[in-house]
Amino acid sequence: MIEFKNVNKWYGKLHVLNNINLKIPKGEVLVICGPSGSGKSTLIRCINRLEKIQDGQIIVNNTPVHDKATNLTKLRAEIGFVFQQFHLYPHMTVLRNVMLAPVNVKKMSKTEAEKISLAKLEQVGLTEKSGSYPAQLSGGQQQRVAIARGLVMSPEIMLFDEPTSALDPEMIGEVLDVMVNLVSEGMTMCVVTHEMGFAKKVADRVLFMDDGKIVETGTPSDFFDNPQTDRAAEFISKILTH
Amino acid sequence: MMSFYFGRLVEIYPFFLKGLWMTSKIAFISLVSCTLIGFILGIFRSSNSLILKRVVGVYVAFVRGTPFVVQIFIIFFILPEWGIQLDAFAAALLAMAIMGSAFICEIVAGGINSISRGQWEAATSSGLTLIQQLRLVIIPQAMKVILPPLVGQYVLLIKDTSVVSVIGVMELTRVGWVTVVRIPEGLMVFSLVGILYFSISYPLILLSNYLERKMSM
Amino acid sequence: MLVDFNFRVIFEYLPLFLTGLRSTFLIAVISIALAIVVGIIACSCRISSIKILKYPAIAYIEIIRSTPLLVQIYFLYFGLPTLGLKIPEIQTGILALMLNSGAYIAEIIRAGISSVDDGQIEAGVSSGLNYVQRMRLIILPQALGVTIPPLLGQNIVLVKDTALLSLISVMELTRCGQTMTSERFMPAEAFFTVAFFYMCLYFCLKALADWSQRKLIFREAY
Repeated sequence: MIEFKNVNKWYGKLHVLNNINLKIPKGEVLVICGPSGSGKSTLIRCINRLEKIQDGQIIVNNTPVHDKATNLTKLRAEIGFVFQQFHLYPHMTVLRNVMLAPVNVKKMSKTEAEKISLAKLEQVGLTEKSGSYPAQLSGGQQQRVAIARGLVMSPEIMLFDEPTSALDPEMIGEVLDVMVNLVSEGMTMCVVTHEMGFAKKVADRVLFMDDGKIVETGTPSDFFDNPQTDRAAEFISKILTH
Repeated sequence: MMSFYFGRLVEIYPFFLKGLWMTSKIAFISLVSCTLIGFILGIFRSSNSLILKRVVGVYVAFVRGTPFVVQIFIIFFILPEWGIQLDAFAAALLAMAIMGSAFICEIVAGGINSISRGQWEAATSSGLTLIQQLRLVIIPQAMKVILPPLVGQYVLLIKDTSVVSVIGVMELTRVGWVTVVRIPEGLMVFSLVGILYFSISYPLILLSNYLERKMSM
Repeated sequence: MLVDFNFRVIFEYLPLFLTGLRSTFLIAVISIALAIVVGIIACSCRISSIKILKYPAIAYIEIIRSTPLLVQIYFLYFGLPTLGLKIPEIQTGILALMLNSGAYIAEIIRAGISSVDDGQIEAGVSSGLNYVQRMRLIILPQALGVTIPPLLGQNIVLVKDTALLSLISVMELTRCGQTMTSERFMPAEAFFTVAFFYMCLYFCLKALADWSQRKLIFREAY
């Protein structure tokens, strides 16, 4: 469903994505981990073309992402993206934040959009906050709204870029719970995260990146209990002991 | 002597009000045109296109680097040489539009650039087009940063209308200039002119201060 | 259109333009220096708690800011003779520019002073420093960094403002353009040349302003 073919990306001289080859089938939950600067955020940001690639191809549902002829609006409507810093629109209520894309991209009527939006807000457990502004919400609540904003377009794929890294520890759980529920609904998910508990619980596959390359991949149990490479082993020991 | 002139001044007062009316007309039309053009230019100036940025940048540099009176002379004296005949009023409006839009362009670009990249990325990821992103997400937020200096710029533009008096437009300053020939009481005449300008500028200055306080909360 | 540009005539008038440029430069330098003095005095009055100093200062600043510079110039040019003061136009012009910029500079300095953190003032008070000492040792040095970039900006504005003095027959750069236009009927050559010289002044001053902004940001960081 998502396919990377010989993908390369440079920031000037820095080779941030080095010959990435990857296939993510429908319904898979993929966790990507690795040290800072390994290229993991860049990798998922290329999927919905927030970043461009210089070489190779990325194909989502048979559509080449980085092709000039591709209808980006249509493509992005099928991909939901959740940011580390949430990036909710501060000048709109929670409900309007979620309704914005359905009304303006899918051209839905306001009533219909409102119905779906409230349903998604209920799914993340925040119906009572629909009239509030983002500034009135906690970090965890804001991130859950961001997830609802991603879900409201009924995407086939959800991408998460370190969704809990900017949250206070007590709020990480509520966001991870929402994400776990998504898994049980069969959503295709790519999650860049350091939350290894989440990975062990729901991931189908774990990808370890370093220096722009995919160093190792495997099922969670294989990866955490039996890392094949030294780098992976080193990384795992560091994050588990801190 | 002073009271003789004062009496004549009272007689001629309607003339001043006509001048004030002309100033208001020029100011209003200019504020509207400069705001419209300035917003569009400001969006270009803060865009990702290097060409647009540079071209608008050159235009802004020329306007900001030369005195307004020189720009007016250029427009009024030089356009006829190129076959464009404009009367003083039209030339004045054109000069104001060119000058004001350059300054508003910088204010708008500053506002747009102050919006974090994350907002652009979130809007892009939802599939919104560039125009939708600007209209729904970026510009509403940028307005907080834009509005106080924009109103301040409006005050400056109202005052700049006085310079178009040099090409003979019968606005408030020129009324004073013409009057002082016949009523040689410079202090009285231009005090009156000043008071009339004050009456339209000062409320806007208060508004600008108020907005500045409100937006920084 | 620029093909018919008569460069020969421009070179003929070059000495005149350079004289005008020199006048503009001198007028600007003198005016800004005097304006800074006026600004400091006006600002001190503005922020003082002595009513007889504060309210006239506020009135002065608001009147200047609410009325056009050209009106202020004409006010002095046509008004001073009626009081019996016959001073040369160039001095009238400098007076007008000095009073005008002085008001804006007063506000710039005021903004600079209020940008200094309250905590700094509290620290000074706790150390036993009196008002003058706090001003001299703590507030003004820090306010300086915030004040200099807008001050240079006002300088740029002032250079352009000098062009209005052409309307009261001061022989500065713009007047030279008018002279050439009336003698040779070549407004394009005259005013584009004038514009060119102003742009040169502008880019020099802007480079100075940008440089000061960079250097001062570094200072604020530590």
